[in-house]
Amino acid sequence: MKVIVCVKQVPEIAEVQIDPETGTLIREGVDSILNPFCEYAIEMALGIKRQHPETETVAMSMGPFQAKAALMRCLEMGIDRAILLVDKRFAGADTWATALTLAEAIIAIEGCFDLILVGKQAIDGDTAQVGPEISEILGIPEIMYGVGLELRNNKKKIRVTREIETGNEIVETKLPCLISVSKGPMIRSISSFQEILDARNKELRLVTADDLAIDDDKIGLKGSFTQVVKIFPPRVKKQGEIFDGSDAHAAAHKLTDFLSSRRFI
Amino acid sequence: MHEITTETLPIVDFSKLRCIKGYDELCQHYELYLCDESRLAHQGAELLFFPSNEAEISAIFTEMGKRGITVTLSGARTGLVGGAVPYGGALVSLERLNKVLGIGYDASAREWIVRAECGVLLRDLNNWAMKKTFPGLYERASNETRASLKHYKETKEIFFYPPDPTEMGAALGGTVATNASGARTYRYGATRDWVRKIRVILASGEALEIPRGKYFATPEGEFTIAHSTGVETTVKIPQYTMPQTKNAAGIFSAPHMDLIDLFIGSEGVFGAITEIEIALQKWESPVSIVQFFSSDEKAVDFVISLRKEKSIRPEFIEFYSSHALDLLRKKQAADPKVVGMPPIPDDARSAIFFDLMFDPEKKEHDYSRLEEIVISCGSSLSRSWAAYELRDLQRFKDFRHVLPETVNSIIAERKKEMPELHKLGTDFAVPDRALQEIWEFYKSKLEAAGIEWLAFGHIGNNHFHINLLPRSLNEMEHALSLYREFASKAVSLGGTISAEHGVGKIKQEFFSIMFSDRERDEMKAVKRALDPDHMLNPGNLFAL
Repeated sequence: MKVIVCVKQVPEIAEVQIDPETGTLIREGVDSILNPFCEYAIEMALGIKRQHPETETVAMSMGPFQAKAALMRCLEMGIDRAILLVDKRFAGADTWATALTLAEAIIAIEGCFDLILVGKQAIDGDTAQVGPEISEILGIPEIMYGVGLELRNNKKKIRVTREIETGNEIVETKLPCLISVSKGPMIRSISSFQEILDARNKELRLVTADDLAIDDDKIGLKGSFTQVVKIFPPRVKKQGEIFDGSDAHAAAHKLTDFLSSRRFI
Repeated sequence: MHEITTETLPIVDFSKLRCIKGYDELCQHYELYLCDESRLAHQGAELLFFPSNEAEISAIFTEMGKRGITVTLSGARTGLVGGAVPYGGALVSLERLNKVLGIGYDASAREWIVRAECGVLLRDLNNWAMKKTFPGLYERASNETRASLKHYKETKEIFFYPPDPTEMGAALGGTVATNASGARTYRYGATRDWVRKIRVILASGEALEIPRGKYFATPEGEFTIAHSTGVETTVKIPQYTMPQTKNAAGIFSAPHMDLIDLFIGSEGVFGAITEIEIALQKWESPVSIVQFFSSDEKAVDFVISLRKEKSIRPEFIEFYSSHALDLLRKKQAADPKVVGMPPIPDDARSAIFFDLMFDPEKKEHDYSRLEEIVISCGSSLSRSWAAYELRDLQRFKDFRHVLPETVNSIIAERKKEMPELHKLGTDFAVPDRALQEIWEFYKSKLEAAGIEWLAFGHIGNNHFHINLLPRSLNEMEHALSLYREFASKAVSLGGTISAEHGVGKIKQEFFSIMFSDRERDEMKAVKRALDPDHMLNPGNLFAL
């Protein structure tokens, strides 16, 4: 059985700031991490491997050269091998061009597979579109927001517990299929130092546009139907008056004066 | 040179300084300023000042001197021995001296130097140094400093300030006054090793500017201070030998010592340290490792072997004893999120937390020596947790902090039933050669006593904290006698009664185990020379 996990490297969201002049993300000094939902998908793949040790697990990502770090994290967690789709021609891809490139790579590089796992969305773009688009392009069933799964009928079918607004729903489909994953362990896993060292000896293959039989006008910016025109932070509501609290007594006086002047007290 | 001349500072109108007056007013509205992390009961204060520069401090000292009022200095109040807790008199909070004043490159020492006021917090200092942005510095700075700042920003390397006393909310001045140390002391030494210059306001209101490497004690162990009044004061340094360990107990003394070292670690009894120049260290990406072992003794063996291996240079080596892991397991069972780590392996009976330089982008790594040592201690690199992403490094650090917090919460619960109960946590360190001996001594006594205990902390410096958690007053008495016994044993092995917390107002009882009456008299003589009226920090180091 072969499980392919499509992952993305994202900026650590807690630290992201937007340059007010250019409207672009300030990436300087911001760490990049494996998208948390992709990490859940990796955990799910590893769960299958624990139950069915013969399972082969592959992580795949499209991104700049630095995205190797996110794939390395997958390998440290226990994924068998990784593929990075890296080429200047892939740059500027919207969700459709990304999904098309990943789908083409899955066919061209891997050929057969039983299951594709993706995170439900990336925490930078939050579109949640790439996973479903891959399944549409490949013509396989998709189940969104998976939180648990069970292989059935001698691994010909899969039963997935998925989140819905009112609770959980259990659905079943035949393999191959694609599942987007929305929940993982409450505590992120930690690798051993041995696993960190071993990961560096695992296969991490770099694949360029030339390795894929795909037209240049279908990938990257050229192949994108949508374009990000501008990114801007939501307008900050006007803040109230802030009293200097270093002298609590004086601050309290100011506060009571303020409140009484407006007849609140 | 052994003679230093004081500076007089611009005169400030004392009557215009902000001052909170009255014992009741302070106790009711400013109680926060009367306490520190030691939770030591304060004796109140009559006056509270918030100076924002040296001249204001000088004016306060001069006026308090005239009125015969003692002064307790207060920083971020993170100390553990009551150093900032007032015993009456005036309280001077230095929190408003919180600016970074300069940055420059010392080409001879090949290091970046930051000049900052005493109230700058370590957390901020490190954030600013690593992100290369110091709020307000450019606007305040001279052209020369602006050029240095530009140069600093353009350098590819990242720099940080290594002293890390766990509590990063500590103020820089406080950490210099106590010669703070912590986990990273194993590799980088204590605060003293990173201080290049200080400015001090003496009790007289005069200032001293003391760069490292300029003023040294005479062969007779003396310094001379030439006052602006024309009077000269001779300071004779104590003659005792300092323990060859990490140490925060007692005034520093060494033959031909540098004057700056007399003030570093003096717990503020000689003056208020207002400005500090510190050196930065190049930051290299590390991997943090929690290595599990099958017994406490195997962990101790690992530390001894690891220290001998010169090709492996950890920044810190920290210990979790078997009982410490059990406590964390209980905490994980109750609330896994608080601990923030996967379940501790069932077979782990101790752990060593350390870090190594690690380039995650490099393909080839040779940690074969480390592996051999781990295997020789009955474990393997597979029985470890490791991480190198910044968010995980912080997660590992938090995991280390959960332990003392858990201990404190257990004691707080027990105190509800029995208010007299409190935790007893040792701060003793011994020389390297005595690690195994002191561990065996502690463990045999503790197991025989039957009191709940655990050990954790800076084993790399032979400075782990034994925490005793008594359940009754009888156990409390027993724990206290054990504590004294441990202190005596540590000193007899050439160690210290306080490796990092200092003496302050809380540990004077144990001070006498380490220093004889004559040695303590020598310290008092230094105090008399620099602060003849015993105005500053009454109760610190010396009993009232």
